[in-house]
Amino acid sequence: MTLRSLFLWALPVIALLASLSLGSGSVGPGDVLALLSGNGSDEARFVMTELRFPRTAIGIVVGLALGISGALLQSLTRNPLAEPGLLGVSAGSALAVTVMILMGSDSAAITTPVAQVGALAGCGLVVAVARMQGPGRDPVRLILAGATLSGLLLSLTSLIMMADQRTANEIRFWVTGSISGRQWEELFATLPSMALAGLTTALVARPLASMALGEHVAVGLGYRPGRVQFLVITTVALFVGAATALAGPLMFLGLAVPFIARAIGGPDIRRTLLLCLAVGPTVLLLADTLCRLLVAPSELPLGVTTALLGAPLMVMIVRRHRMPTL
Amino acid sequence: MTDANSANPTLATRNLRMAHDHHTVIEDLSLTLSPGRVTAIVGPNGCGKSTLLHGLARVHHPAGGSVLLDGGDIHRQPSREVARRLALLPQDKDAPQGLTVRDLVGFGRHPHQDWFRPPSPEDRAAVDSALGAARLEELAERPLDTLSGGQRQRAWIAMSMAQHTPLLLLDEPTTALDLGHQIEVFELIRQLAATGRTIAMVIHDLPSACRYADHLIAMKEGAIISAGTPGEVVTRALVRDLYGVECDLLEDPATGSPLLINMRRSTDP
Amino acid sequence: MQRRTVLVNTALALGVAVAALAALSLGTIPLHPVGVLRAFTTGEASQQMALILFELRLPRVMAGALTGAAFALAGCLMQTLARNRLATPGIIGIDNAATAFAVASITGVGIGLAPPAMALVGAATAAALAFALAGRTGTRGYPFIMAGVGIGAIAGAITQLMLTRVAIDAANAAYPWTVGSLNSREAMATHLLAGGLALCWLAALGIGRHLNVLRLSETVATGLGTHPGRLRLAGLGIAILLTGLAVAVAGPVGFVALLGPEMARSVSHPARVPLTASALAGAILMLLADLAGRMILAPLEVPVGIVTAIAGSPWLLWILLRQTPGRAL
Repeated sequence: MTLRSLFLWALPVIALLASLSLGSGSVGPGDVLALLSGNGSDEARFVMTELRFPRTAIGIVVGLALGISGALLQSLTRNPLAEPGLLGVSAGSALAVTVMILMGSDSAAITTPVAQVGALAGCGLVVAVARMQGPGRDPVRLILAGATLSGLLLSLTSLIMMADQRTANEIRFWVTGSISGRQWEELFATLPSMALAGLTTALVARPLASMALGEHVAVGLGYRPGRVQFLVITTVALFVGAATALAGPLMFLGLAVPFIARAIGGPDIRRTLLLCLAVGPTVLLLADTLCRLLVAPSELPLGVTTALLGAPLMVMIVRRHRMPTL
Repeated sequence: MTDANSANPTLATRNLRMAHDHHTVIEDLSLTLSPGRVTAIVGPNGCGKSTLLHGLARVHHPAGGSVLLDGGDIHRQPSREVARRLALLPQDKDAPQGLTVRDLVGFGRHPHQDWFRPPSPEDRAAVDSALGAARLEELAERPLDTLSGGQRQRAWIAMSMAQHTPLLLLDEPTTALDLGHQIEVFELIRQLAATGRTIAMVIHDLPSACRYADHLIAMKEGAIISAGTPGEVVTRALVRDLYGVECDLLEDPATGSPLLINMRRSTDP
Repeated sequence: MQRRTVLVNTALALGVAVAALAALSLGTIPLHPVGVLRAFTTGEASQQMALILFELRLPRVMAGALTGAAFALAGCLMQTLARNRLATPGIIGIDNAATAFAVASITGVGIGLAPPAMALVGAATAAALAFALAGRTGTRGYPFIMAGVGIGAIAGAITQLMLTRVAIDAANAAYPWTVGSLNSREAMATHLLAGGLALCWLAALGIGRHLNVLRLSETVATGLGTHPGRLRLAGLGIAILLTGLAVAVAGPVGFVALLGPEMARSVSHPARVPLTASALAGAILMLLADLAGRMILAPLEVPVGIVTAIAGSPWLLWILLRQTPGRAL
């Protein structure tokens, strides 16, 4: 218990401090301390207020959103591999944003809703795929179908980038997944819908926990699976759309965060969701700090780091769960 | 049908040890299949009977001892040469969609054919006679996936027949078949035995083994605990020992083989 | 059975010829197909036409046909060995790994091996890793495919990483090739592919008779006198060689490896593994996809990898959703 709580409390704090004080530039922990005591250099002040604070805040929000969406999707599909990145939800969101920029609009105010609509469409496709799969459903197939969908949507995104140089320049870094160089306004634009999604998450947590025992059990307990499913999908779309608008389509975060949360707190979805509040931001901030340090003075795209860390985890989960043979 | 038993090859094991992942399943097992007879290998789940059959058919390498075909180590002989004398019908098998019965039976000629040589008249004759023996002429051009379970299993057996081997090994040829189809398959096996082939099969169902086999091998925990004609092997003590089942025995008035009746769970462990 | 194989292969070969003729004739400067045919048969052509035909389009068409054939033949072999339609080199990450290694040698991270050699090394590495990670189930289970998907994701990330580390011009130049394109091919890699494809095709035909039997199940195949272990090793080796060589020319065009064999199977006799037919179908698909990529947004060129991904994804989805589990190929 002590070790566990140490991880649970110490790691988020370490991640937060690391994200604030470490970077590819010259501003280090010493400058941060000086700044806190009121006498830092102007350069340090600029780096902190204009770059690192917004970046860290965005990291926290994105980690939270993706972690919770992953937990919700995994619970809904009863599939430990379900994840917005793998299933094509993020890719749907990215495509929507790309199309929007292609049409000539790039104001932060409408990016978020457009990304959320894209995510909703991606969710809809995933659910349709899961439905079409019919009685012979098995977990890996859903993931492979989702990955195909994701690949298709990202191909379309590439196609647009190829056809339109201006769009390409605007989203080149965003589309590989990154939280660097974002403004406060962009974060603020996502907050209302994030708050709404948080509220619906609280609403669906209990019914989801009973649906884990089987849809019929949930009906017996007085819940309506159809309504729960609808709420979960809306929540996921709101979260993933907002996260994608901020950080681009990130893979594997929604896989890793709930996995860690379950390892700490067991299978109950309610506890998993609570733990995601701490684990999601921690994982994302650590990954992002890693991006800044590994190849300093330049930076890795966040999407590259999450893929490098997340893919082995996915293979491990498949092996551990003894997925059926085809 | 031509007599496949002209050479009358023998299949035997000497001090055979079989293992899965370093876990010994069969220890020090020696047997010789009686030529020209139907031998049934019976025993409870996990006794090693399928492993033994796979060992005999050189699908798995022994961990110790040897399997002898005509006195020589089966793994030292070219696989193709072995396949001309020994056919195997395993449980795991699957046909590509749209494959017809004739196509499937044609695969039985594989060890007799060469690279890119069109099928010889001999191949065609073997396929036709196998189809005839299995009463599949009418269905020969039908895709396999449109047949009933029993017909499909007969088609697979016909494939093994077309292989034209004096030895035939069958792994649970009647699992998942209903009673009518089981009898259909067993009667085909008896018919094959009548041509002089040496047949060994793993069978789940002791009463069927008594009814259709000339020779029984009873296995438990990787060893043979009894072997002989069904009348010699099947005793109340053996049934209790193998399955933990009490029963009474009668003699089948039609065939003289033992009949198990009044079966119930054994009370003492 | 024999007659049908000959018929199917002849028809597909004709298809390749027609697709090639179309690819030679169509483009920003359209040429008349009859003129193109005459130029080939009699050598009689204007200087400008000769330039377009022999210097620009013919090498591209050759590269397209060869890579398409190589990808599809590799896909057919892998699918048969794994008894799973999803086990194409593209889906299990071999394409991506080969690309990552080739990009490494282009961007100078490598040890000076030519891109084709590096692509081969990458392909072999990915296959070996997928095997090792799959554990006891071998090529037949999900762990193999998911291990491959994971390796593909990592290799893709590494490729992206290397591209962000080089100058923007180099990255822009390499980008189309990393999604699969016939635009940045090298003559040397194409020649290697031509030789390799010929050898691999013969080798594949050599084991074809045994592959037909292997489809019934490993145990049945053993009973019929083949050696599944050796067969698997040979087949995988051929598939890896083909994929590596083809990636070195065109980058990862994974969907051809899925669609070519699908197309070939639908017209071929079910008792045969359609090796030659797959290769021919792959060549047709690649030529048509590249042609479409050149025409759709002309004068802009859409890389053939994106065309096949967009056209092939729905088909893959359909397989995933409708294929009955456990059915043999």
